[in-house]
Amino acid sequence: MARAPIGDPVSNSPVVAYETLEQVFEDIRSHPLYDHELHGCLNCGICTATCPSAHYYDYSPREIVQLLWTENLEGIYEAMQEKIWACAQCYTCAARCPFDNSPGGLVMIMREAAIKHGMPSAKDVLRPFSRVLLKVISTGNQLAPNMITRDAFPDWGANVSKVDAPLDVLRKAIPVPTMHTTDTAWVVNLKTSVELYTIWEETGVLQQLETIDENLFDVIRDVMDEKRDAYAEWLEEHEKETAGDA
Amino acid sequence: MADDKRSEGAFAGFGPEWRPANLSPDEARAATAWVETRIDRRSLLTGRDQVEDVRDIMWQLEKDGEIAVHRITEQHEPVTARTLYGWKKRIPTNHLWHHKSCGQCGNIPGYPTSLLWLMNKLETRYLDETDQTSCTAWNYHGSGIGNVVSLAAVFLRNFHQAYMSAKAQGLPEGYYYPLVHCGTSFGNYKEMRCFLLHSTKLREQVRKILAKLGRLVDGKLLIPEEVVHYSEWLHVMREPIAEKRVIDLSRVRATVHPACHVYKMVPEDVIYDDTVMDGNRVAVSSGLLQSLGAQVIDYSTWYDCCGFGFRHIIGEREFTRSFAIDRKIKVAVEEARADVMIGHDTGCITTLDKNQWIGRAADKVYELPIMADCQLAALVCGAHPYKLAQLHWHASPFEGFLEKLGIDWQKAKAEFEAYLKEVAAGRIETLYDARRSITSGPGFVRPAIAAKGTERA
Repeated sequence: MARAPIGDPVSNSPVVAYETLEQVFEDIRSHPLYDHELHGCLNCGICTATCPSAHYYDYSPREIVQLLWTENLEGIYEAMQEKIWACAQCYTCAARCPFDNSPGGLVMIMREAAIKHGMPSAKDVLRPFSRVLLKVISTGNQLAPNMITRDAFPDWGANVSKVDAPLDVLRKAIPVPTMHTTDTAWVVNLKTSVELYTIWEETGVLQQLETIDENLFDVIRDVMDEKRDAYAEWLEEHEKETAGDA
Repeated sequence: MADDKRSEGAFAGFGPEWRPANLSPDEARAATAWVETRIDRRSLLTGRDQVEDVRDIMWQLEKDGEIAVHRITEQHEPVTARTLYGWKKRIPTNHLWHHKSCGQCGNIPGYPTSLLWLMNKLETRYLDETDQTSCTAWNYHGSGIGNVVSLAAVFLRNFHQAYMSAKAQGLPEGYYYPLVHCGTSFGNYKEMRCFLLHSTKLREQVRKILAKLGRLVDGKLLIPEEVVHYSEWLHVMREPIAEKRVIDLSRVRATVHPACHVYKMVPEDVIYDDTVMDGNRVAVSSGLLQSLGAQVIDYSTWYDCCGFGFRHIIGEREFTRSFAIDRKIKVAVEEARADVMIGHDTGCITTLDKNQWIGRAADKVYELPIMADCQLAALVCGAHPYKLAQLHWHASPFEGFLEKLGIDWQKAKAEFEAYLKEVAAGRIETLYDARRSITSGPGFVRPAIAAKGTERA
């Protein structure tokens, strides 16, 4: 018999069915790295004492480990709404834990589960990250020179460069030929980005992306279809050249 | 009282059952001192029962015919270093394949440029090519988009390319050995190697994908003998580099920010050396600075991260800049009286460098120059601060520091501005022949021609 849904009488949060809580936890527990990241917990708190995010957020790696270790399904689900996104992923907690737990690694497993379940919190939190996602999925680079602008980072100083010149000229003045670029960090071989896209397809990453941001997924699919066509054309031409040589 | 303090954030993150200890100042100092004598030492990492060297698994799997190993051979001129437990790690010093960092190339271009310049100076043979992706782990740690299979597949795809790359120059497979620039890539790849060696299922999942890409060796996954970070190359080459120095660093007080993903992830693989900070700090960068003649100054928050946060640097910068300023920059300036802070990772240098300017809004003006270990090493060996070390991309004020080194930065800046006119006219100076950088696909020059371009320009 199904258990009654879990609700919070003093908040307006929607009621979550117990089956959903179970499914979310099962996705976490069945993650291939779960047993590698969690071994036990004495509540010593050294992880939280050394955690940078605990200085600034209502976040505690000790709490995350305890919720998972005690299989507190409601607490796990609640932590996935906001707390897990506070972790700075420095792994200081993991380096110091006497049990060899990795709270930072557990947070990543929970983030993956939050994305799989399309939790609104994940969508909200990842909205500013969409430029990085577009770049990494379509080129394999996560950052590009033309992403660093005064408008995007007004708190980083008056100028992006202390020498005033057009970006493309400044980039060509870098004495490494692969870095004469503005929209990728280095010149990306067409074959490379096509291969990477295959990895995304084969590992379910595109499904994650579609769950979290359907529009971004559509844009990336169009971009990559063009790249695949361009590479297929090049391969065809290359084969002709080879045949001609023979 | 306790509730009042919690509501002010004094115990944020510790959970509702926490109560303040109400220690007196003396008691608090004694407690802190007790903790520091234990946790502020390398023994924190070594005082554990579980000690496993995954390389033992790797050699067994190779013997069983399950995997192939990209071995470090004499042609790579390896130098042996010692890791956390005293294990040997062979660092290749020649025939290196540069696995670039997207954050460095996109944002701190003087970082990889300085490294390649030092290699030219030491007549190291290398390949910098376009057939490589980033590790994609910044995105993963920031967003959760990705998974262990995708990260492992990206790792082995890139390392397979490193293994095969020399064929484009008519040279044998395995000629170039991958040298990883980014700290997050280094940590992530070490983790992935560990997971792959432990999991038959993961190996099979990745093997199917790499088979589809044509990236197996004799039908097997190719695992690197070692995952090597560029800072490890600098470390084992620190004396030859120091022989090239033309600037005296003896008056310089340098602090080091050790990067979390370099030494907290897979810590057993990290180099420690009893002659560097008594063996209690990761040896890379500090050892180089010692050899270059600088004063390496310890500071109480050396263990803290920089505040990068992966997601936070993009979407929650108040955390990033607050942590960077209050826990790192301020301490380095006020406690260590540092002239400079040196790093060995992409995100840390970006964070610590870019987030100082906004401190003006809160009267937190520290003006601490931030740069990578290889940038400082290049400067000390005579590299041009703008044309080569590309310091104009740095937001922290480095000009006063250059003056302390005896470098006329105004003259150097004027020289660079004049050079930009040459660049605009198409007269560009590079560290190597650009034809070498494309090894397949559009733009590839056939081996017979490319082989002529294997020597540096």
